[in-house]
Amino acid sequence: MRVPSTIAILFFWLVAFGGNTELHAQASFYQGQSVRVVVGSSTGGGYDLWARLMALHLGKYIPGNPAIVVQNMPGAGGVVAANYIYAVAKPDGLTLGAFNPGLYFDQLVGRPEVKFDWSKFTWIGSPEQNYVLHYIRSDTPFKTIEDLRNAKEPPRCGSTGTGTTGHYLPRLLDETLGVKTTIVSGYQGGAEIDLAVERNEIVCWSPLIATYFGREPYKRWHKSGFVRVVVQTGAKRDERLRDVPTLNELMQQHKTPDSAKRLAKVILTAATLGRPISAPPGLPSERTKILRAAYAKTLKDPELLAEAAKRGWEVEPLTGEELQSMAKDVVGQPREVIERIKWVMGN
Amino acid sequence: MLEAMIIGFWKTLAWPAFGYMLLGIAIGFWVGLLPGIGGLSTLALMLPFSYSIKEPVAAFAFLLGMLAVTGTTGDLTSILFGIPGEGSSAALILDGYPMSKNGEAGRALGAAIMSSLVGSVIGALSLAVSIPIVRPLVLLFGSPELFIIAIMGITFIGTLAGPSLIKGLLSGGIGLMLAAIGVDPQTGSLRYTFGSLYLWDRLDLVPVVVGMFAIPEIVDLAVRGTSIASSKQERLTGVLEGVKDTFRHWWLVVRCSLIGVYFGILPVLGANVAQWISYAHAVSGLKDKSRAGKGAVEGVLGPGCANNSTRGGDLIPTIAFGIPGSGSMALLLGAMLIVGLNPGPEMLKSRLDVTFSMVWVLIISNIIVAGLCFLILNHLAALTFVRGSLLIPFLMFLVYIGSFTSNNDLLDIVVTLIFGFIGYFMIKFGWPRPPLVLGLTLGKIAENYLWISTAAYGAKWLLFPTVLLLIAITIFTVAYPTIKERMGKAKYERPEDAM
Repeated sequence: MRVPSTIAILFFWLVAFGGNTELHAQASFYQGQSVRVVVGSSTGGGYDLWARLMALHLGKYIPGNPAIVVQNMPGAGGVVAANYIYAVAKPDGLTLGAFNPGLYFDQLVGRPEVKFDWSKFTWIGSPEQNYVLHYIRSDTPFKTIEDLRNAKEPPRCGSTGTGTTGHYLPRLLDETLGVKTTIVSGYQGGAEIDLAVERNEIVCWSPLIATYFGREPYKRWHKSGFVRVVVQTGAKRDERLRDVPTLNELMQQHKTPDSAKRLAKVILTAATLGRPISAPPGLPSERTKILRAAYAKTLKDPELLAEAAKRGWEVEPLTGEELQSMAKDVVGQPREVIERIKWVMGN
Repeated sequence: MLEAMIIGFWKTLAWPAFGYMLLGIAIGFWVGLLPGIGGLSTLALMLPFSYSIKEPVAAFAFLLGMLAVTGTTGDLTSILFGIPGEGSSAALILDGYPMSKNGEAGRALGAAIMSSLVGSVIGALSLAVSIPIVRPLVLLFGSPELFIIAIMGITFIGTLAGPSLIKGLLSGGIGLMLAAIGVDPQTGSLRYTFGSLYLWDRLDLVPVVVGMFAIPEIVDLAVRGTSIASSKQERLTGVLEGVKDTFRHWWLVVRCSLIGVYFGILPVLGANVAQWISYAHAVSGLKDKSRAGKGAVEGVLGPGCANNSTRGGDLIPTIAFGIPGSGSMALLLGAMLIVGLNPGPEMLKSRLDVTFSMVWVLIISNIIVAGLCFLILNHLAALTFVRGSLLIPFLMFLVYIGSFTSNNDLLDIVVTLIFGFIGYFMIKFGWPRPPLVLGLTLGKIAENYLWISTAAYGAKWLLFPTVLLLIAITIFTVAYPTIKERMGKAKYERPEDAM
């Protein structure tokens, strides 16, 4: 009896810790398991569609090839899902989250419902980096930011609600460059804003650059010159918007104080983060490594890239490490910046 | 144009488009029948499958075929069990379910299916006819106009109130107050959320409607201890009777279909609002007002056709502008881009055949599903004669699954139960439920557009000619019954005076 059991123990030692010990252990961990991706919005939205596309391929790159299951947990703009990932889900590498990166504003302004610390999530990666632009109808007298700064009657810009690009970018332009805007809030979605612009109910909006180049009527409007882009928020000028100054350039030119520059950085990070994937805090480092590597490989998968191209999505990945350091940067803000954030975000 | 119409027709019938359409219909049939699982979420789930279909017509035959039939089969659940099969079928409960209780399920189903078919044909034809004029039509309606239309919808509370106007208005007022729950879209402040994240997103219509309409009926069924239908009747003739009803009230059906098309074209206000407005319109025309809510077939016909004709109306701005009229259209728009169709002027010129094939899909899929329904109708109607105690567990299951799918949150079920209680006591004390639902639906829309109008135009919008015209129409609609009554009296009194 003794001998066989010793052999069995030895055998186990060999299998479990022999050779590439760690990988084997992880492979056997993920073998036959399923990884759940909790999406903070309902089916059919941008976060959901990206998560579902990623889920088709992610399993291939995790040792042990677990099944990837997408689950929708909509609510409170993603706070429900973020709280769940932060406080309820176990940090075992079997639960991932996909929610709106703008949620860290809710943390910064101290909403009591927020149960998470943005910088403590284990960040896995993001498929894209977004920037915002501000466009205005060409038949208005405003050709540049300079004209907007001197406007007698501020232009009416559309927005779908507080915390969205259409709301925070105009406020940020006010804060950094002194551009006054009347924000008309409450439209049900981007398409309704397009219609309102066409009807001259409003004359400007700030969508993501990807939205502007990704769909009608913008392709048509851009070609015909119906609207004019006056500012973009990327670090450098977008290939397709070579004549449009970036916010940084304008802030340089108008000698914007450092505190306002800092504010701009904190706020615009939300768009830059793209559609990030997170895991609960305290995920063991070897599993973090595996998931980050698998995610990075997934975003290079030719099938995924082909599908994304077909849908008109631009893939510009951010690694987990980059997300982690950006997350740390945005949450540690002094009180005066937070006060300004409250105003810009409409609280 | 005629040529494109014919090409579109053959493209729809060509293989594999036709096969995809049948598949879509098969899925849509069940999705519509089962409460809670709506056309919108199914469309989202089916979207990736459509990507692999390379031919635009085939992809749309699949998606649109599925969406088109959910409106029809959703009505069946509302009539048979008093549980809305789709959010947009709730208004059919009001008179459809009492008909089932009276043993007239066959007639109600026949009326619902036939009116759905007529509605979808009218919706599809409006799509075909309005293609050239849609642009100015949609641009005519800005936020101020939409605000007045929402107000007009709210005035229908008066019509839906039933015997006690005061109770009706109060019920509508409660609905408007409930609509205020959640994150306010203008300033981001939290209203009546009591620290609950669930309430941030406003009350979802599906759990509220399912709870308020289905639970009291299930309780009632359990208390009565009988089957849903309390008296036996000849079933086969019932169905035909329902079909005949559709043609007996032909102009009502046409008018309600047009209401549906109109609400489909306008953004935001879709089938969910159109069904109630049509219902209100249908019962306001009843000679004997006390029949409303007790099984008047007009109350089935009105919403039955309107919630189908909105599908055609919805497609109009989507195709012509690339501006979706509703959530499901936003998804269809995504599908259009993927199969390589550019919504906008192109769809009306070089791709007109595709546009017409969409019209044909709407018509053909509804004809097929109507035929299918007529085949199994007697079996469905027979369900109302099954002993209640056998049905109740199944119905409760459907109710909870149905409300749970709206947010995948257990609190959905809590909301259903709360509104189940409220609904039960509202019936008991004679408070009408439709005004509450209408208030809840329209409150948010009215608030939003009032805010947008004021933010964009100050007070100037109150004097826009279109706004003034719409206000006049609203006042006229409200005052019309009174005027009619006065004039009727005057005519009646005159001979007396002469005496």
